[in-house]
Amino acid sequence: MLGVTIGILPGLTATMGVALLVTLTYKMAPDQAILTLMCVYLGAIYGGSRTAILLNILGTPANAAATLDGYPLAQQGKAGLAMGPATTSSTLGTMVGIFFLAIIAPLLSEAALKFGSYEFFWLALFGVVISGQMTGSDTPLKGYIAGILGLLVAMVGMETLHAHQRFTFGIAALGGGVDLIPAMVGAFGLAEILSAMKRKVIGHVVPVNDRVVPTLREIFQYWRTIIRSGIIGTFIGIIPGVGEDVGSRSSYAAAKRASKHPEEFGKGSQEGLIAAETGDNAVVSAAMIPTLTPALPGSAAAAVLIAAMLIHGIRPGPMLMVENAPFLYQIVAMLLLATIANLIFGLSLTKLFIKVLAVPRERLMAVIYILCVVGSFAITQRMFDVYVMLIFGVVGFLLREMKYPMAPLVLGIVLGDLLDLNLRRGLALTRGDPTPFFTRPISAVICLIIVATILMSIPPVAGRVKGLFGRKGAEQPSSL
Amino acid sequence: MTAFVLVAPGLAVIYLSRTMPRLEARRIHPATIPGLVPLFLGIGLTCCGGLLLWRSWRIEALGGWQNLFDLLKTREALRIGVVLGLALIHTLVLVGLIPFWAAAMLFIFAFIMIFETWLSEGPAEPLKSFCWALTIAVVGGGGIYLVFERIFLVRLP
Repeated sequence: MLGVTIGILPGLTATMGVALLVTLTYKMAPDQAILTLMCVYLGAIYGGSRTAILLNILGTPANAAATLDGYPLAQQGKAGLAMGPATTSSTLGTMVGIFFLAIIAPLLSEAALKFGSYEFFWLALFGVVISGQMTGSDTPLKGYIAGILGLLVAMVGMETLHAHQRFTFGIAALGGGVDLIPAMVGAFGLAEILSAMKRKVIGHVVPVNDRVVPTLREIFQYWRTIIRSGIIGTFIGIIPGVGEDVGSRSSYAAAKRASKHPEEFGKGSQEGLIAAETGDNAVVSAAMIPTLTPALPGSAAAAVLIAAMLIHGIRPGPMLMVENAPFLYQIVAMLLLATIANLIFGLSLTKLFIKVLAVPRERLMAVIYILCVVGSFAITQRMFDVYVMLIFGVVGFLLREMKYPMAPLVLGIVLGDLLDLNLRRGLALTRGDPTPFFTRPISAVICLIIVATILMSIPPVAGRVKGLFGRKGAEQPSSL
Repeated sequence: MTAFVLVAPGLAVIYLSRTMPRLEARRIHPATIPGLVPLFLGIGLTCCGGLLLWRSWRIEALGGWQNLFDLLKTREALRIGVVLGLALIHTLVLVGLIPFWAAAMLFIFAFIMIFETWLSEGPAEPLKSFCWALTIAVVGGGGIYLVFERIFLVRLP
């Protein structure tokens, strides 16, 4: 319920909710703590759809596509008809993701055991590049820049190969590097507060006069869309650092292309809303696949989950299936429980959740800031971390204003150490010879994907490639 | 302008990476020096900044500094400035000077009163706002103290 409430409140995102609540889980048992955080993550992504449908405002960025058809449906007096199937499709989307998580994660974990320094270096680079490519709003270049900035932040402090302190400038507190949680609380908490308080949002909550609980026919009439969107969401979730908003938009676009009534999309199409909600919720569970196996976060919130797992002594990565195999299936069960709770609360507590929408931002954001201070301080109990939160909040706000995505920045901070350590360890093993980075089969494949991804963000190259495949004019390439 | 802001730290990172100790005394391989990855990142940042500069010459950039400068001229800038000002006063001055719960209550009260009266976008109702601000400050500030420090045993600043 807390997760759904966080999602419903405009300006509070899933990442922010998870980052703030890590503090409350310190004294909990590891499985209980991760269950709490997973429920908040899943609940927030689902809860955002309420705001999208009733207020035409994004509860979380993941619900951008849901506003396109959810709000028009509510305006037509079908708010209940929008919220009901949105809830059931969220549940079904999560279940599709859970299905693939249970099947793919153990296989991927086994495959990851064969990875060496060379592969991990490329995987870390792949995560930052693909995240930059897919989340850069107007140009992938901004995504790449955000990724490099994140990697540079990760370079601060003592490096793990030779224990040398880098970029500390004599500040002792920087010796341990920049902690992820204060950085995330700043970039997603304080930056959200600044964005939310920038202007007063004038919105009118559409009343709910029709029934919310859908019939079985209403749930399954778009079963093809649900399966397709679930699979697309899962695929997006597996790609490191891309996140729910891309999953939602991609599922929506695919549903529009495949629909018999594409003209209804954007004007109150139930199919469009179902596609968007299935897609973003499938990403949540699928994001746990890379998060648990090679320890590459599938989304920004998953990056916080990795930090929370490490705090609680759980080490995600290839060794997880060797050291703590039941944990993977615990996550599967946690997601299942969380999505069932979402379904029950979503269909039964409509009026309560609508009241949450009426809470003025001025009254809420003041309390959220205090939680940001507590959340940053509590991990190491240093005021330095609170100052880090403040700096990241201001920088994060400025970057957002200039349309720089946050996900690659976060991924850079998380993956910086992995990238740095494995590049230099690989070079140490070969006494400076970089050949294995390009000749080992998996390394070569990931390297080629990275090169292709970067090349495809260059308009003339992308145009030529599309020309070769006879798709000229089909779609404008994303441009540098 | 963003391009220049990016190129400058990019060049600074390249310089700092090149001058970073190479730990010869510890006989480490030159390919594993601590400055290796920061050097690549500095080059990457400088190149991206250069590309951004080239791009802004060719096509008008969406967003960018113009958006930021436009924002500075508006009432929105004042709202952001007030949030930051209050945050800095709370964190740099009040925390440590008075107990955390008191600092939290003061911050919440001031925040709500300012945004519901002085910076209110609609008609202000000072008495109603005062009552709400006082209630939320006491419940919020006190609640956070009780929940974190007493129930979940998390140490507060």
